[in-house]
Amino acid sequence: MRHAGENISAYLDGEMRADEVRRFLEHLAGCGRCSAEVTALQGVRSAVRSLPMIELPRGLVPEADSVPTPLRRNRGLIAAVAAAVVAAVIGIAALVTPPPESISLEDLNSRFGARVSLDPAFGPAKVVVPEIVESGR
Amino acid sequence: MVESIPLNWEEVARVYGRKIYNFAYRLTGNQADSADLVQEVLLRVRKGLESYQPGSFDGWLWRITRNAFLDEVRRRKRRPQSSLPEEVDRWDIAASPAADLEYDRLSIGDDIQKALLELPIDFREAVVLCDVVGLSYEEIAAATAVPIGTVRSRIHRGRRQLREMLS
Repeated sequence: MRHAGENISAYLDGEMRADEVRRFLEHLAGCGRCSAEVTALQGVRSAVRSLPMIELPRGLVPEADSVPTPLRRNRGLIAAVAAAVVAAVIGIAALVTPPPESISLEDLNSRFGARVSLDPAFGPAKVVVPEIVESGR
Repeated sequence: MVESIPLNWEEVARVYGRKIYNFAYRLTGNQADSADLVQEVLLRVRKGLESYQPGSFDGWLWRITRNAFLDEVRRRKRRPQSSLPEEVDRWDIAASPAADLEYDRLSIGDDIQKALLELPIDFREAVVLCDVVGLSYEEIAAATAVPIGTVRSRIHRGRRQLREMLS
């Protein structure tokens, strides 16, 4: 059988399909040369992986190490303000909006400035309340 | 819409800045050059985020990073060797680590760093993306625009050369 070759690195990196791994391990069991290669390359791989992470020079990146970023805080603040405004508007709307009730002409007149025509020449009393009539009933 | 972009460039800087810096440092062995590369990458990210399509963000970012790196390598190669010979060497062949505050930390992997810098650039890049940055073969293939089989081969051959140099 062929030697494992570059499959060795793929195996070490977990980049092999299950059936490939099975065949690879079968070969490895009977091949001292490939086994030695696995050990050697495993050593190289972990040596490179154990290189220390170098810290960024200061000032290279905006607040490189701060986890709660100013941007996120601002977003939170904006969201909170927006929520408060919405709540306030709803609250004010609730206070201002009159509950459905029967409305007398006098009430209409005083609240909405409705004009009441009582002139018999124009027929029965007529209430002119633009736009309000529908929501008031 | 803003929602389709996962990060703004400042977040990219905070989350990926150190990794980009380490990628560059392991490829060049030079801190000043690595800092320059981080800034160049962030500049490109800043411009690119406007047209970024949701997908593999890592693939996108590392493609930008390695392209920025290769552009710089090419730029330095074009320079006449007589003007700045040490700079031409710095990126392409070996380099000694800068002596500064981080010297002790840098010297931990001194022999490995030196060996990395002697690898052909394709192998070096594949090994660094795999073992320093921690990308999968698929992500490396996307970042370096080569088939996954090529990635597999480059990493393996890179490691074999490292083994010979380090033994």
